[in-house]
Amino acid sequence: MKVKVWGARGSVPSPGPDMNRYGGNTSCVQISLDSGEELILDAGTGIRTLGMNLLSEPHVNILLTHLHLDHIQGLMFFPPCFRSESTITIWGPASPEASLEDRIARYISAPLSPVEVRELPCDVSFRDTPASEWTIGSATVRAEAVTHRGPTLGYRVTEGDTSVCYIPDHEPALGSSLEDLEPEWISGFDLARDADLLIHDCQYEDDEYPDHIGWGHSAMGDTISFAARTGAHRLMLFHHDPLHTDDFLDRFCDQARGRFTAAGGDGDRLEMGIEGADSQVGTAPQSAVAG
Amino acid sequence: MPVVTYAPEAANRWKNARVAQSQKPLELILARNLLTSISTPAFLLDEQSRLVFYNESAGALLGISFEETGRMDPTEWTGTFGPFDDEGTPIDIDELAITRALLDGRPAHSNFCIHSTKGEERRIEASAFPIMASEEGASGAMIFFWPRATNGEGARG
Repeated sequence: MKVKVWGARGSVPSPGPDMNRYGGNTSCVQISLDSGEELILDAGTGIRTLGMNLLSEPHVNILLTHLHLDHIQGLMFFPPCFRSESTITIWGPASPEASLEDRIARYISAPLSPVEVRELPCDVSFRDTPASEWTIGSATVRAEAVTHRGPTLGYRVTEGDTSVCYIPDHEPALGSSLEDLEPEWISGFDLARDADLLIHDCQYEDDEYPDHIGWGHSAMGDTISFAARTGAHRLMLFHHDPLHTDDFLDRFCDQARGRFTAAGGDGDRLEMGIEGADSQVGTAPQSAVAG
Repeated sequence: MPVVTYAPEAANRWKNARVAQSQKPLELILARNLLTSISTPAFLLDEQSRLVFYNESAGALLGISFEETGRMDPTEWTGTFGPFDDEGTPIDIDELAITRALLDGRPAHSNFCIHSTKGEERRIEASAFPIMASEEGASGAMIFFWPRATNGEGARG
């Protein structure tokens, strides 16, 4: 499968000359399955640009981790929403408080929006994620609740023997040390275990974290520890703090690679979430058409 | 506030451990984190009444830490710690009001005695709260312990 990052910024869009290389759009990742289907992970502001490149895709599945604004803000500007031939299925966490549609409609409604969900010309449906794994096209998808503020999911998408795990907002070390916990007590462990690519929250440097404990995000040390403990083959640091400039993130990356290597990982297999970057995960399928 | 540091040698301890048990639901993970952070002695039970964690304060009360005992099945932890009535007779766990926290998804309060591993009798009162995360029932319960007031009621289920 192919993974493309359309937004890797956390919390709030942060455009500007100091943010151009890593990008300022908020969370959105596209997974193109080898069978041709497209999955979209989160609908931060990055989904707007993605949508402009999805001109011929009739059916789109959007998997929302949670409904914080930086993960749904782009939904109202997603071009397929405004095409009558589009069919969009939006998956997200269940809540005892209100349906997924009603909770999203709080954003796509007056006075925050000029349109209402019911006015969208596309065929859109809202689905709570099942408790057990389910299939979308050729992929098996699994969602599990993870430590963040409010109902929040992580996802594992598996096609064939290749898996991508996406946990963009996660604080697995809240109230405990990851080094001391048995795996069964680590939030998100089963989702991330042996993933070919783990896309994971890494919003803070370690010395920034104490001022943000309980905000639902990870410090670098905890992200690296989580990746090492779960045996992720590749690690993508994601959900960059809006205050972290390109130059800051360059240094951040160098430091993280050194620490990942020291933790027994391969520093070359640690990468930063960079807007516009894409990569193949697992083995690319052989073309069915003889050359 | 200490800076979080990464200790690779500690992580390496777990490299081959993997998941010995199935992963706990998030609400139990968060409950354990809460119990770790408070000084009130407390137990964490899973949906099958297994004692899956108790905090340091409970360890002081029981005379043994959770790190030493590990997870305990219902027969194991009731046989080791109790509950007992004030005459020392074991109370069937199914007859204990706090069991309702799991069976009925209701909070409950009980007075009883427990024995520490050093043979000391502890007269306590306990409040149990079910941990509900879905309509399928309690996925576990937290039980908090307090020393019983000297003029308080006797043991009652």
